[in-house]
Amino acid sequence: MRKLIYAVLLGLVGAGIVHIAVLLMVPEFSERDAWSRLAQASDLYKVTRLDAEAGGPPVVKSVDPLFFAAACRFDLAEGMVQIKSPDAVPFWSVSIYDRSGHNIYSFNDHSATNGPLDAVALTPAQMLEVRKQLPEDLEGSVFVETPIDEGIIVVRSFVPDESWKPTVSRFLDQSSCTLREF
Amino acid sequence: MLKNVLLTLVALVVAIGGGAASVWYTLQAQKGVGAITIGAWTAFPDIGTSDADPYSKARVSREGVLALGRAEGLAFVAERDSAGEPLKRECAYTIDGNFPIARFWTLYAADQSLDVIKTEKPRPAALQSYQILRKPDNTALISVGNHPLPGNWLYIQGSGALYFVLTFYDTPIASSTGLSDITLPQIVRTGCHA
Repeated sequence: MRKLIYAVLLGLVGAGIVHIAVLLMVPEFSERDAWSRLAQASDLYKVTRLDAEAGGPPVVKSVDPLFFAAACRFDLAEGMVQIKSPDAVPFWSVSIYDRSGHNIYSFNDHSATNGPLDAVALTPAQMLEVRKQLPEDLEGSVFVETPIDEGIIVVRSFVPDESWKPTVSRFLDQSSCTLREF
Repeated sequence: MLKNVLLTLVALVVAIGGGAASVWYTLQAQKGVGAITIGAWTAFPDIGTSDADPYSKARVSREGVLALGRAEGLAFVAERDSAGEPLKRECAYTIDGNFPIARFWTLYAADQSLDVIKTEKPRPAALQSYQILRKPDNTALISVGNHPLPGNWLYIQGSGALYFVLTFYDTPIASSTGLSDITLPQIVRTGCHA
């Protein structure tokens, strides 16, 4: 009997260790994280709608039903990435996530120069290069310096009511996510 | 000899089974470390950032969530009314009170997995602040139920667990300094038709 209690106690201590080990391994080995799900749906630099409106089940859970969202994956090791959309909508916001889905930087339409979405994500080293000679078409862009390689850009846009759906859909569908070299 | 093998097995089963089950349980629970509770509402301001605790990090990668950034907004979830009773889809509620400063906010009724309730009608189970009628003191009263109600009406239907998700967009409260002294609306049950 005493041996059994001893074994169970030992097991409980082990359970604590297993708990911590599993917890720390979940982010490393998860195949259901946002990056993996997006990778199954589309290539790098391809804008993918996250809401169910585009047909089929949503790739990554887009939380708010009054929002449409789109995402594209990028790799800064290949060059900087520019996200741009010509249209205007009541509210948009952009978040940049690292490979494991942590939100690194976010901003919304109040941070933009005139209102339209135009942002560039790049590493500090690329920023130095760009500063030397700023390309003319990047003059109005919001620059986001991040020390990461692979990441995800998500654009979210508010749909106040049914009548805004086509406009907001067009805003997201026309947004481009391009690899820029210089 | 056989007894020793059995005891070792018991220890191993308790360790691996217990360890895995406890991780699964804590990740399943809505409450967690790093939660901020204001009245009936709970938010995880750190979720999805690299400052998050290991539990939030595991939850984020397991569910494939891309959490809202600080400049975007902050979401509060309620699973109980202000009296502490679990929210049910077959009941009617009022959400009444003051909403903190934000450019706009959205409120929707959700199921267990925090997806919006499907109403199977053109009217979604969601409201946003631009369509809200306010009282003279700038508070708002929202009636929740499956029958049309005057004023602000959030349409829910069906039965089972109910969650309210209240998200503030472009708001100063998302920066952690403002979170301590804000008030959120009360959730009061007004009746059930079980």
